[in-house]
Amino acid sequence: MGLSRRDFIKACAAAAAFAAAGVTTARPEWAEAAEDGITWGKAPCRYCGVGCSVLVGVKGGRIVSTKGDPAGPVNKGLNCIKGYFLSKALYGKDRLTTPLIRKGNRMVEASWDEALDLIAAQYKKAIAEHGPDSVALYGSGQWTIQEGYVASKLMKGGIGTNNLEPNARLCMASAVVAFMNTFGSDEPMGCYDDLDLGDTYVLWGANMAEAHPVLFSRLIDNKLKHPKVKLIDIATRRTRTTKMADEFIAIKPHGDLAALNAIIHVILRDKLYDEAFVAKHVSFKRGKENAPYGLKDKEAFNETPADVKNLTFEEYKALMKPYTPQWAQKVSGIPAAKIEELARVYGDKSRKVNSLWTMGVNQHSRGVWVNNLIYNLHLLTGKICKPGENPLSLTGQPSACGTAREVGTFAHRLPADMVVMNEAHRKKAAGIWGIPAEKIPAKVGLHTVEMFRAIDRGELKCVWIQCTNPFQSLPNLNRVRKAAQSRKAFIVVSDIYPTRSTELADVVLPSASWVEKEGVFGNTERRTQQWFKMVNAPGKAREDVWQLIEFAKRMGHGALFPYPEKGMHRAIFEEYRKFTLGTGKDLAPYGVYAKVRGLRWPVKANGTETRWRYTEADDEHVAKGEGIKFYKAPNNKVSVWFRPYEPPAEVPDRNYPFWFCTGRLLEHWHTGTMTGRVPELRRAVSQATVELHPEDAKRLGIRNRDQVRITSRRGSIVLTAEIGGRGTPERGSVFTTFFDEKKLVNEICIDAFDPLSKEPDFKKCAVKVQKA
Amino acid sequence: MPISGIVVSCRPEEAGGIAEKIAGNRGVEVHGVLADGKIVAVVEADSIDAEVALVNGLQQMEGVISVQLAYHNFEDAAPEGAHPAGL
Repeated sequence: MGLSRRDFIKACAAAAAFAAAGVTTARPEWAEAAEDGITWGKAPCRYCGVGCSVLVGVKGGRIVSTKGDPAGPVNKGLNCIKGYFLSKALYGKDRLTTPLIRKGNRMVEASWDEALDLIAAQYKKAIAEHGPDSVALYGSGQWTIQEGYVASKLMKGGIGTNNLEPNARLCMASAVVAFMNTFGSDEPMGCYDDLDLGDTYVLWGANMAEAHPVLFSRLIDNKLKHPKVKLIDIATRRTRTTKMADEFIAIKPHGDLAALNAIIHVILRDKLYDEAFVAKHVSFKRGKENAPYGLKDKEAFNETPADVKNLTFEEYKALMKPYTPQWAQKVSGIPAAKIEELARVYGDKSRKVNSLWTMGVNQHSRGVWVNNLIYNLHLLTGKICKPGENPLSLTGQPSACGTAREVGTFAHRLPADMVVMNEAHRKKAAGIWGIPAEKIPAKVGLHTVEMFRAIDRGELKCVWIQCTNPFQSLPNLNRVRKAAQSRKAFIVVSDIYPTRSTELADVVLPSASWVEKEGVFGNTERRTQQWFKMVNAPGKAREDVWQLIEFAKRMGHGALFPYPEKGMHRAIFEEYRKFTLGTGKDLAPYGVYAKVRGLRWPVKANGTETRWRYTEADDEHVAKGEGIKFYKAPNNKVSVWFRPYEPPAEVPDRNYPFWFCTGRLLEHWHTGTMTGRVPELRRAVSQATVELHPEDAKRLGIRNRDQVRITSRRGSIVLTAEIGGRGTPERGSVFTTFFDEKKLVNEICIDAFDPLSKEPDFKKCAVKVQKA
Repeated sequence: MPISGIVVSCRPEEAGGIAEKIAGNRGVEVHGVLADGKIVAVVEADSIDAEVALVNGLQQMEGVISVQLAYHNFEDAAPEGAHPAGL
């Protein structure tokens, strides 16, 4: 009939695109032929925290096609450009396929037994000589729930150390602490539906168009359909997001801490708050202040209950008096009149206001405080727990929520909002794990920055890194790379490609990735999504959960993992699920997730999901007639914290006159180990560039594409200047991305961190900028 | 040769003009322009890399809000893409 297979496939492609755009077309019957022999399975996308659903087509043991999943409620049939990299991320030429062991400067192929025996011997030796706190495991928000759960049980319940961290410490920790100290439970009350249902969106330092494109598209669809919808972009840099915003408000780095306080000042001054909501749901608190920045090793800071003072509403109002718009104008750069206007936006009873933020707020030396202040806006005005008006903290990794936060693979956490410091929590965990409660140490382990500093100090003897690339992504990178290079610790790295971390390892283990294994991810809106294995991993590569259990057996902890070989993932999940039941974080049985495109917890007794937490309208933990009930917070009252302005850890001065900020762009994800494998794309966006404001560039005699040297007190790199490109920082600031493994930009970054969350500030340090 | 079905979003009033420009790219067929500013197109190229480069170009065009991927078939694509640093 003159039609080729190619025509069939093109018809399929067009039909899928029409369907995703909302037009049902009759797909020609002959188009079905194009998909002959392809077996389709569902999986959440491998990349960011949005959690789009993907249909994966397999033929002859290889992935041959992917589709945005039309049944996926998150993305409704569409993926962002990173969808093109889903297959490529698995099929790069240089996949790691066999274990490697360091012999001097060479890495030598080894069997799994050799590699695992060596790792176990090193861990045993360190534990025997220096105790269990001399070893560590460092994972990620890309771990599946099963991987994180096995890691936590092994380290906390088996080896007996809380030295377990995820790379999510570098991106989400500030959000977690603020959720806990405000609401008593991690993760949002709202969900993505708020992007479709609201009419006002205030972005606090978030470039959603590039970092969360599918969610941004939902927001823009809402905006194009509803003229009332207003998008306000408050940022230190003009981006693709700015182009779509109704208003761009330039803010100085760290200015959010001042501007938010001043907005609250106006809301209090002009009585724009919701008096009844405040009286019923809010308690006012003041915490510990004048915290250090963590720049000294082992610098300790904690906000214990003894440090917290309860305030009356009147006392709180009095404390907020000095934070006037005029004062904030000087600190934040936002005109006082604009601050008054923002307060009226938040206070406008006819507007459904949403705040959205991500790394700009979290990677902040006062990140918890900024999160707290954003919640204050919503709690004072009562714009929370209602369809279309909520604060939403966006995440960056596919299971930063599901694994790092819900399973709790942090140095202080246990599953389902529990912590190691709490005896009752340790007892509950020990009960489910079938171990004596005293096996789980009460001492908080090393947080990420301290973990890698402890290598340099010679205190940490063994660290195993899975599914992440810390020797590119940590701040003040020179120090930790030098420590590793001088072989101060025994380092194991499990990954799918060679990275700047595998090059420093003593043992490199080849991992299975994404649909080469079975797993579950949890996304930003509390959606838990399962997938099955669809293809084999290459060579000898094995999934991380298998690696950990084989290691556990060699460490004498095999009895903790009595899972059948067939059905292992189900068994692990069902055990983990016990932690969640009855807590308001309830998960469904594993078999349910196999069938649906995810469910948002808490899953109700009747098996349906919860879109809005803490409201009788949707959350079954709130009884009828109770309206909104913050049932996870002490006395059902959420905390509005007084959080004063304190300056950043390092500010520009005569020697280092510019602000330096790092971030992400659309095409490259994280440290680029997966998205860096697309040659044409590398040519288009081949390397990290440094963006300058045109006036700064002119003053320094720098033209577009010139080589520019960026120097901080910690390091110096040369980058190509980008002027008038896709992003433009404000005057006095420069911006670069961290994906390029040939340009270790984090050597420039300061390792200051938030005193409460221990999350480093990758967005602010002082540099000098010179034409190279 | 890989083939993909994409949806390009733009402001409704600009969609017609952008669709014409998009159709001017070798390897891009515009299949429809919808009233809400969405353009449905099919992209084909010699390799996934070339395809991504093409789509990346569309994404950078003035007036384009986003390019999203609905369908991607690459059944005859060869393994490719060693890492840039050759680590």
